[in-house]
Amino acid sequence: MASCHDGTAEPDRAGSVATRPTRIALVGNPNVGKSTLFNALTGSRQRTVNAPGTTVQLSTGIWSAWSPAVELIDLPGTYSLLARSPDEQVTVDLLTGRSGTEPTSTGSPPDLVLLVADASAVGRSLYLLAQVAQTGSPVVMVLSMADVAAHRGVRIDVPALRAALGVPVVVVNPRTGSGLSQLVTTVEEALAAPTSATDPAGVTPGGVTPEDETERAELRFVWVESVLAATVRSAPYRLSRSDRIDRVVLNPWLGVPLFLACMWGVFTLTTRVAAPLQAHFEALVTGPLSSAARAALSWVGAAGTPVEGLLVDGLLAGVGTVLTFVPLMGIMFLVLGVLEDSGYLARAALVGDRAMRMVGLDGRAVLPLIVGFGCNVPALSATRTLPNARQRMLAGLLVPLTSCSARLTVYVLLASVFFQQRAGTVVFAMYLTSGALVVLAGLLMRRTAFRDVQREPLVLELPPYRVPAPRALFAAAWFRVRGFVRDVGTIIVGTLTVMWLLTAIPASSGHSFGRVPLAESVFGEAARTASGVFAPAGFGDWPAVAALASGFVAKEVVVGSLGQSYAAAGTPGRPESASLASRLRESFDVSSGGHGPAAALAFLVFVLAYTPCLATLAEQRRLFGWRPTVAAMGLQLALAWLLAVAAFQIGRLL
Amino acid sequence: MTLRDCPVGMAARLVGVELDPGRVLRLRELGLALGTVVRVTHRAAFGGRVVAVGPARFAVDAGTARSLRVEVV
Repeated sequence: MASCHDGTAEPDRAGSVATRPTRIALVGNPNVGKSTLFNALTGSRQRTVNAPGTTVQLSTGIWSAWSPAVELIDLPGTYSLLARSPDEQVTVDLLTGRSGTEPTSTGSPPDLVLLVADASAVGRSLYLLAQVAQTGSPVVMVLSMADVAAHRGVRIDVPALRAALGVPVVVVNPRTGSGLSQLVTTVEEALAAPTSATDPAGVTPGGVTPEDETERAELRFVWVESVLAATVRSAPYRLSRSDRIDRVVLNPWLGVPLFLACMWGVFTLTTRVAAPLQAHFEALVTGPLSSAARAALSWVGAAGTPVEGLLVDGLLAGVGTVLTFVPLMGIMFLVLGVLEDSGYLARAALVGDRAMRMVGLDGRAVLPLIVGFGCNVPALSATRTLPNARQRMLAGLLVPLTSCSARLTVYVLLASVFFQQRAGTVVFAMYLTSGALVVLAGLLMRRTAFRDVQREPLVLELPPYRVPAPRALFAAAWFRVRGFVRDVGTIIVGTLTVMWLLTAIPASSGHSFGRVPLAESVFGEAARTASGVFAPAGFGDWPAVAALASGFVAKEVVVGSLGQSYAAAGTPGRPESASLASRLRESFDVSSGGHGPAAALAFLVFVLAYTPCLATLAEQRRLFGWRPTVAAMGLQLALAWLLAVAAFQIGRLL
Repeated sequence: MTLRDCPVGMAARLVGVELDPGRVLRLRELGLALGTVVRVTHRAAFGGRVVAVGPARFAVDAGTARSLRVEVV
């Protein structure tokens, strides 16, 4: 079953090693511990890149067990190299060295494939191994989850497996680190004397290579059965501990309340628990850090200058915004890790499947869409649990329509000012509208840009329940938070600096840079110009539009911005001390021609439907690229405007 | 009988899959080949099923469970 490359077959490989580092690819079925192994081998020396031309993310890292170090690539999990999703196609392209999806260096196949196999389900990995053999890459098989296999009564004769496959087989537990040193030795030997497996479908007994993929698959299945018969013993069917837990967790009556309770827990963690931590980080930036920066600037004689404004109100405020997301994203990544590693996420997908099918997604999309009602940013990150890039993008474009808690502050203010006794009903109606928008937008997208996203049958392996390993959990969360800050941080800081500049540049003479009232700044002037666009929605006056423009950065600032800009605008005949409520009522009444409540409702609908915040955009860009992000932003603005106009025009008739 | 109607705990053999060839192949790649003995271990909400295939457990949605034909062993 094996072909050894002797020294004479090596010049090509040796030649390529001279121009690029040795590259090893991690390949395996989903949920076999591939990424845990990747984290254990590379530590913090890793980064996430998109496979070019795709939104599929790959982790690449440096495995520094040797000098020079080896490059390790964690490929998307797959059951087969007959790809059925963009993610699986990336794995195929990278293994075959096809150009176009090469994330790192030259477009050649990896020098070695580490095929990570779940010891409790070796058959599936053997099938994949046979397909990898077809690519000709040397292979080392890494048996993970041996503890789970033993628990399930599966016994593998490793020496016999090694002999049957003709490639090295190493037993590793990446969660505890056992077997890693053996892996280093084996990989070293495999790189020195590469051994590739032989594809059983390569040549039939008659000496003919079958053209048809189904025939080839058939030959591989037969081969897998023969290897399994010689090397693996499985215990007869019995109910496991996980089966007994599932009796409760998946019970038709208890499963749904448990699922809702679990989702409520996730929601609470990403909102109420994260909020004080976020406030703490924000206070750190607006308090001690800003004071220190101002003190330092006054020491160099820059106090009160535009430089201070740029550095403190622009740059530092941007850094502060990014920092407030750190605890939130950290909690989200930890929660995701716990749900995934414990085995519950797969069960949640089964319970939530029916609801998600309404929007053309499967049950795995339920978590991001629920988390979205807390905050859209971690919800977008949660789409990574979906195995198909197109499904991830569809879910990621629906997430901004889920009404996050930051929007609630605007609902509460306007609803209590304009609808007093019925404020609660109005706020509730906003959430109902949000749910309806998700379903309608999902149906619409499935019939237009996402016609290729088919209703895939949900056949999902349920991993046994396990207690998550804290070390691996925290390491994975840390790497993800770091990636988020690096990629999203620059966009947020950059945009906030530009926003500050717009408020600092005077639109007319008579003011100097950095010392201009909001109404007289380029920002105020732009809001005044844009206000005409919102006249059909009943709120075409500049303070409301300026608040919406600030809300583009974060919805939390809309309320503050309304206060600020109405104070700046002043209201003729009203004392300066007039409350925000009376200013709002008066202004909306004037701009709507006496239909204040209808205009307020239109404003709320616009807040619900347009771009949630800068961080959401930045995260969308990170996950899906610029083009879909900008297109979605444009569509959302158009949708928000249409809905707001409809709300106002209908509302004023009532 | 379909997998959806199969009683919990009863051993049954997979005898037919009413899905397109690509999906049939993917089921087979997962370990759900024709002739495989399966057992429904749980009935979940909304018609979902959990099936045991050897030591592995698969969650199957209601629609897919209806498209898998089984015979009692």
